[in-house]
Amino acid sequence: MTYPKTLFWLLHGWVLAYCAVLLGAFTVQLVGGEFPCPLCMLQRYAMMLCTVGVLWILVQARRGELTAGRYAQGLGMGIIGAAAGSVVSVRQILLHILPGDPGYGSPVLGMHLYTWALITFFIVIVFVGVVSMLAPAGLPEAPAGAGARKVSSAVIGLFVVLIVANLVGIVVLEGFAWVLPDDPQSYNLFQQLGL
Amino acid sequence: MAVITATVILVLRAADRTWILVLWVLGLVLTLGLFRYHVTSPLDLSF
Repeated sequence: MTYPKTLFWLLHGWVLAYCAVLLGAFTVQLVGGEFPCPLCMLQRYAMMLCTVGVLWILVQARRGELTAGRYAQGLGMGIIGAAAGSVVSVRQILLHILPGDPGYGSPVLGMHLYTWALITFFIVIVFVGVVSMLAPAGLPEAPAGAGARKVSSAVIGLFVVLIVANLVGIVVLEGFAWVLPDDPQSYNLFQQLGL
Repeated sequence: MAVITATVILVLRAADRTWILVLWVLGLVLTLGLFRYHVTSPLDLSF
């Protein structure tokens, strides 16, 4: 497989990885019954913001319209989104760093979700650095086969579904309010509607 | 979240690059604005 095609699938891996993280967050929220705090939601937003840059690259690559400039713009969106998310993650880690503090929510594989979020943002920043250094080897190129296109569409579709699910989720969580409470204990919309 | 959703819709519809960038930056600014609100309001911290 040539580098441009490999890069095309690596970028799908980025989208898929964040889909898995967002699905995991939903699982903790819906199955585990843990409500996301405002900082948790802001980290989800940052994950989506940085993945939108990659999505833009992929959509243009699939249409055969990707240029070096637009590739750089998409990667730039990715790195800025990851940097913003890192700030939020570090803030939340520092909030709970004192010895004896149990942290917010349940740990997963020994670390809290906001610590995992920081690791993912760090990986994104390093990944963007590496593919930027390799940029002279070529831009992402979509394979011609129908099967590859279906896989690509499925990954993009999953990301879109998760974006919409997060939109619905935050509306239900916030209800008729501009911001989330600092320590949400219920779905405000249901309470406000008397459900 | 609504702004991010709108940005994704524009990306998928291959809309004008300027609109995508403007909406994305707006989403980023709003996210950072919310962060500033949540960081400074409950604990009265300053930077």
